[in-house]
Amino acid sequence: MLISGACVPAISEGLELSVVRVGKSYGATVALEQADINLRAGEVHSLLGENGAGKSTLVRILAGAVVPDCGVMHLHGAPYRPMSITEARDQQVSTAFQELSLVPNLSVAQNLLLPRIPKSVFFISSAAETMRRASSMLARYDLERIDPAIEVSSLPLADRQRLEIVRALENAGRVLILDEPTASLAETDWLFGQIGSATDRGVAVLYISHRLAEVREICQRATVLRNGRTIATVSLKEASNDDIFEMMVGRRDDHVRKHASSALKDAAPRLSVKSLSNGVLVDASFNVRPGEILAVAALEGQGQRSLFRCLAGLEPAKSGSIEIDSREHSISSPRKALKAGSGIAYLPEERKTEGILAGLSAATNIVVPILSTISTARLVGQNAEAEAAGPEGAKVELSERYLSFAIGDLSGGNQQKALIARTLATGARTLLLFDPTRGVDVGTKQAIYSAIRAFAASGGSVLFYSSELPEIVQLADRCMVLYQGKIVETFEGSAIDEQGLVAAMIGHRATARLRAMQ
Amino acid sequence: MSKAGVVHPKPSMKSVLLRGSFIIMALYIALYVVYVVQQPRALGAGAIASLFNNTVPLALASAGQAIVVLSRGFDLSLAGVVSITNVVMAVYPLEGPGGALASLAICLAIGAVVGAVNGWLVAYLRIQAIAATLATMIVCQGVALLILDAPGGTVAEWVSYELTDRIFNFIPVSGLILGAVVCLWLLARKTDFGIALYAIGADEHAARLSGIPVLKVRFFAFVLAGMIYGLAGYMLSAQTATGSPTAGEPLLMLSFAAVALGGTSLSGGKGGLFASVMGAATLMLLQKVLFSSGVSSFYTGIFQGAVLIIAVMFSALLTRLGERKNK
Repeated sequence: MLISGACVPAISEGLELSVVRVGKSYGATVALEQADINLRAGEVHSLLGENGAGKSTLVRILAGAVVPDCGVMHLHGAPYRPMSITEARDQQVSTAFQELSLVPNLSVAQNLLLPRIPKSVFFISSAAETMRRASSMLARYDLERIDPAIEVSSLPLADRQRLEIVRALENAGRVLILDEPTASLAETDWLFGQIGSATDRGVAVLYISHRLAEVREICQRATVLRNGRTIATVSLKEASNDDIFEMMVGRRDDHVRKHASSALKDAAPRLSVKSLSNGVLVDASFNVRPGEILAVAALEGQGQRSLFRCLAGLEPAKSGSIEIDSREHSISSPRKALKAGSGIAYLPEERKTEGILAGLSAATNIVVPILSTISTARLVGQNAEAEAAGPEGAKVELSERYLSFAIGDLSGGNQQKALIARTLATGARTLLLFDPTRGVDVGTKQAIYSAIRAFAASGGSVLFYSSELPEIVQLADRCMVLYQGKIVETFEGSAIDEQGLVAAMIGHRATARLRAMQ
Repeated sequence: MSKAGVVHPKPSMKSVLLRGSFIIMALYIALYVVYVVQQPRALGAGAIASLFNNTVPLALASAGQAIVVLSRGFDLSLAGVVSITNVVMAVYPLEGPGGALASLAICLAIGAVVGAVNGWLVAYLRIQAIAATLATMIVCQGVALLILDAPGGTVAEWVSYELTDRIFNFIPVSGLILGAVVCLWLLARKTDFGIALYAIGADEHAARLSGIPVLKVRFFAFVLAGMIYGLAGYMLSAQTATGSPTAGEPLLMLSFAAVALGGTSLSGGKGGLFASVMGAATLMLLQKVLFSSGVSSFYTGIFQGAVLIIAVMFSALLTRLGERKNK
């Protein structure tokens, strides 16, 4: 059932918040193209979509943190266009943010009552009154055990998440928005109880979570976003999981594998990782063979960052071992990673902050890791740089005329090409690419794909993470899915398809298997 | 579930001691004991008043700096504001108590204007604090030179006598003024502005999402700081009784040292104004102690720097110990 039309349905249907054709762009980047959603009083409504589908932008717009470029919103029949979070809250729309909006150095009580701390005389706030109100608020939500006087920074993450939710509940007279409220909660009983009493009061709840089982438990309807557009709003009773995955991913037949795997099946693994744990990542074991392209698929924050940073030597691993060409290496710095056996080169996630040296030329940026090999008596001439950088740049189709430009002046796509040329220039036989095509145009993507394929065809090994599933389907020989820090599933060859990946990424397979075991 | 059933423990003695200005107070008292042992006359009312008079300009400058630093900022315009107010006081002396009051208003206004420019540049135009306030500092120094191109001039007699004097032959006036600023701050930090100042220093994003008007708070932090610099320039003029277009420069770096010495984090959100005042007092007392120990004044800077490093390392160590205990 598709939502269309710009008319405002009557309040009598219980419609609390209606959002029609809302969009937001940042410069050339379209964060949300056209979103429609209707929330009914007393109902829990879910918002579903892949990473980058526009969920968080829509949440920010509803919360008043971002002002949309276009579109109309109505709250309880009246136009709704909040310019700030306080304005949204004054109209009884309140949000518990995914990234938590608690100020760490203020007390629990102050955080709960911000931005309106009770006063005693004049402008002076009353500590006693603040404490009193905060403890009665905590008591109302069954959280008496939290001391309102202590600083938020000394609380465990789960309690901070509960406070964020309490603050939103307290201010949500009409609409409550919960963005990934269970990200750090081990159990959902408390939360679902609170949501239940909110809906009993007639509050409309927007519930965002990537855990589909949870969504099915608490929500009645779901709106699916894809590429910044509302695809459909469905009743969760009627839609199967496969229907939902299909709506989230869409039918895209053009993204199929177009090349044969160059992995050497019988060769000894080039990179062998055994029970690696660090941060979120738990007990990851896998091999990468020469000539193989291994992908990692995961939602945000499932341990992929720790995995790559450990292998690149940017984070020490808590436990586990890393073998390169069947010899164990301890990788404590990126420099050691490059020198470990046949070498590991890393393409960082944040191009601007971790990758480019903005003031230097593209050629210099490419040859930074190999300066010592191209220098004569420790001096490096510009010509030597250009000569060394040229062939590497050509591998990623980086036009030669850009080599002399300051890399900061190049487009994002060309910067990324130069950075990939840098990892190729190191001569390392294993590449770690973290989201190699993030924020680049289609042409650049194809150039990067062919460079990766050519590298694998020459016997190199690639481990890459991508937030874009079509990319994984096109490129990968194998794909591991990380969920809550564990490798939950590995797909191989033609078994790699988007719907299967999405199901594994949102933990559906893992929970289904658990259920089967029970 | 009864509310009475849950009793939350009071914060431990240790965490109370670690908080705020305890360390710097202890350091100051220890140093003062050394000073008194060397100079028994240091306990006299006259000596105490002169110590206050010496300390107050830097203490006020550091107090203003602390406000900006708490909001995670930097303010170099301090040097410019103090210089301008000092030359204005020396070139346009206004006699009598009424004149002193008018001069005070002028000084505060100069500080407020410069602070407003800083706040506008940093909060609304999003220019980095260090660049914006560097620019205003240079402009202010230029203005100071226009008003008075070489050291000279005379500050109004009433100001230079009465403001460095003692009430009832005992309480130093400069100490009273400093005390008033500290008291006002202790009240201010309990207002929405004070709470917001700490909040935006610790986590600007969370503060914004909590509904705090971040830009407004940042703007007024600079304005308030500017006014306190104006007061610092006023008190400096009372003490030196003359004007110099570069009067504020020695205070600039020492103000950062005082803020850090007082345990206020240069990354914002932690510390306080009183601790920074005590930091300034410690730096000035250290000068006196070194002088009375017969150490050449050329060594003063070396000692001040060393004390700063030791104090900052010590407080970091104590914080780490405290955190370990909490876990």
